[in-house]
Amino acid sequence: MGLFLPQSISRRRLLLGAGLSGAGLLLNGCGTSLGVRQVGNLTEPLNQAIEKLLLSQNAVPEFSASAIEPDKLLINSFNGTPDLDPAQFRLVVDGEVNQPMDFSLADLQSLPQKDMVIRHVCVEGWAAIVQWGGVPLQALAKLVQPKPEARYVFFTSADGYYESWDLASSLHPQTLMVYQKNGQPLSPQNGAPLRLASPIKLGYKQSKWVTQITFMNELTPRLGYWEDRGYEWFAGL
Amino acid sequence: MTATAAKRKAKLPSQATMAKTFHWVNIIALLLMMASGLQIYNANPVFGGRAGWDFPEVFLLGGWLAGGRAWHFAIMWVYSLNLLAYGIFVFVTQRWQHRFASSGDLKALRASQNEKRKTFAKHRLVYTLIVPVLLLAIASGLAMYKPAQLHWLAAMFGNWQTLRTVHFLTVPIVLAFTLIHSIMALKVGNLRLVKSMFF
Repeated sequence: MGLFLPQSISRRRLLLGAGLSGAGLLLNGCGTSLGVRQVGNLTEPLNQAIEKLLLSQNAVPEFSASAIEPDKLLINSFNGTPDLDPAQFRLVVDGEVNQPMDFSLADLQSLPQKDMVIRHVCVEGWAAIVQWGGVPLQALAKLVQPKPEARYVFFTSADGYYESWDLASSLHPQTLMVYQKNGQPLSPQNGAPLRLASPIKLGYKQSKWVTQITFMNELTPRLGYWEDRGYEWFAGL
Repeated sequence: MTATAAKRKAKLPSQATMAKTFHWVNIIALLLMMASGLQIYNANPVFGGRAGWDFPEVFLLGGWLAGGRAWHFAIMWVYSLNLLAYGIFVFVTQRWQHRFASSGDLKALRASQNEKRKTFAKHRLVYTLIVPVLLLAIASGLAMYKPAQLHWLAAMFGNWQTLRTVHFLTVPIVLAFTLIHSIMALKVGNLRLVKSMFF
């Protein structure tokens, strides 16, 4: 989810400004101001095309339960942990669908549960092998029936975080809305009552505290919290 | 022996334009890959995680993690396509038959009494060995970039920490190589040889 705490972002911005005013640091100045957007814009469409090409609807091989690394999954959030009451929780699934629906946590838990032991990879560079349990987004899609024009999925979180995914990745068999981690009920810090989990996207794509899933025909200018600050949108693994 | 040595010496300053181009592009691409790579490193140091030691700003490129990634995943194309083109060039021109370390060089290192021949053999051995390191940088980088779709590649490196460590180690290896390679080139052909590779 979150990649840096807000304090460290402002520190980075500060350093960024300092780097720009320090005229001697040519390479750094070039990297921070001129270069980044242009360089990204130049090759990101190509990288994204390759990522889409690589994306397969087959399941990514999973790990054994003994490979789970409980200590390695670090907590990231852009704005702390929202205080949510699981009893009051509702997940709204709407947008370009034939049957908009909403689910309580009990509704979701009554659907067939899927478990997976996968590697969660954070954009920061660390990774953790985690067991997740929940409902495939594919199963929810079957219930709400997305219209044929739907090509993207937008995830809204209770803390103001937001994400958008391509439909193929969203309907991947291992893209789950999870309420369980390492055999235990999901903790609030990890995204309870409900979060996204998938082996095929970087961690910041895997929204915590998801309250609304919206199928869309087109992307909006709001691609995602970190994407709108410069990170890649597809972020496929 | 002296006649061939003299002949070789006279030939040295002329390098194939293609070889010089690959050499230049490789140096620039590697510098950008290392600077943006260290920027990515700093987001979560390979050694010590969040509590680990950071590289100073002056060595970094991109300003922050997203910028470092933008540079790294742009220049990776320049770096790897240059290496691929070099591989094709080496193959097509058959340079692989006479420009890289051979069994003759290994024999010279073991048995030759001729110091110059031994130095030459060492020089060739060093620059031949960097090729697999450059390829390892790509393989380990790809494994980390797409560990799900290229799970077989990621699995070859064992666990994630090993994978990150291997990818990172290509940086000190390349830096050490640059130093040794430069010293060996000076030993083999003086500044004339070094200049001939750049201009």
